[in-house]
Amino acid sequence: LRLPRGPDGCSRGFSPTSLRFQALLGGDTVAAQGARAALRQRYLRGLAAARGRPTRFCLRAGVQVDAVFGAADVEAVAFQVDALRTPLGVQAAALLRCADVLAYSF
Amino acid sequence: MNEWQRKSPLDWETYVNKMVKVAAIEKHEYEGWVLTIDPVSASIVLATFLENEKVSISVVLGHAIQEVEILKEGDDEMKQRLSCIFAPEESKAYSPEEEEKRKNALKTWLETNHIPVTEQGESGRTLCVAGVLTIDPPYGPEECSSSNEIILSRVQGLIQGYLEKQQ
Repeated sequence: LRLPRGPDGCSRGFSPTSLRFQALLGGDTVAAQGARAALRQRYLRGLAAARGRPTRFCLRAGVQVDAVFGAADVEAVAFQVDALRTPLGVQAAALLRCADVLAYSF
Repeated sequence: MNEWQRKSPLDWETYVNKMVKVAAIEKHEYEGWVLTIDPVSASIVLATFLENEKVSISVVLGHAIQEVEILKEGDDEMKQRLSCIFAPEESKAYSPEEEEKRKNALKTWLETNHIPVTEQGESGRTLCVAGVLTIDPPYGPEECSSSNEIILSRVQGLIQGYLEKQQ
């Protein structure tokens, strides 16, 4: 997934300072790794539950948009959504940068 | 990376099953029961129970979190309720003998099709295919796990076809 370089993004699609890369380098205790895995699994199940649901995304500067949740990528760079309602009309499919999203709910 | 994102997974774990108030940037505030915290983005997944038995889920992205305040602890009943929200669907329960039969039938079928399969885990209930994919009881496509999505998809398709032929 290559996006144009954002205001604080790494155009490689992954950042060497990302939490995921840090975890890959090691340095976690067994207990910490166990906690990491359990938390992540619950989160992934949450993403699976979100799929196909109408979702409200809270962006910066008070902007809110509605869309149908599609998918999230592994490095938390972007969300893919369907039927994104914008002031210019409904976009059949779109990517929302994670850095632009503050919160979302469904 | 902010302070919240720099916490350790063990730290984040202490917030699970608690009612919290999350202060985010641009003066946003969110309240709810913590279902989980994503270790990759440090995003908090909150559940709010609505009047009609429905649950509303809010996810606050890690980069937007300024402060998280614990309001109260969840009791056992709440923990149970929260763990059910994203729980995988309950599949039909099989007796130990039926489970064993299903496992052996699938194992035999895989071997007949020249797919290397071994038994693993305590009491050998898990099947391991080609050393890269595991199948847990009750041995359906949903119970396959692998870090290779191509193999996962292929094996899921095979098992789906196998189960359909059994009907």
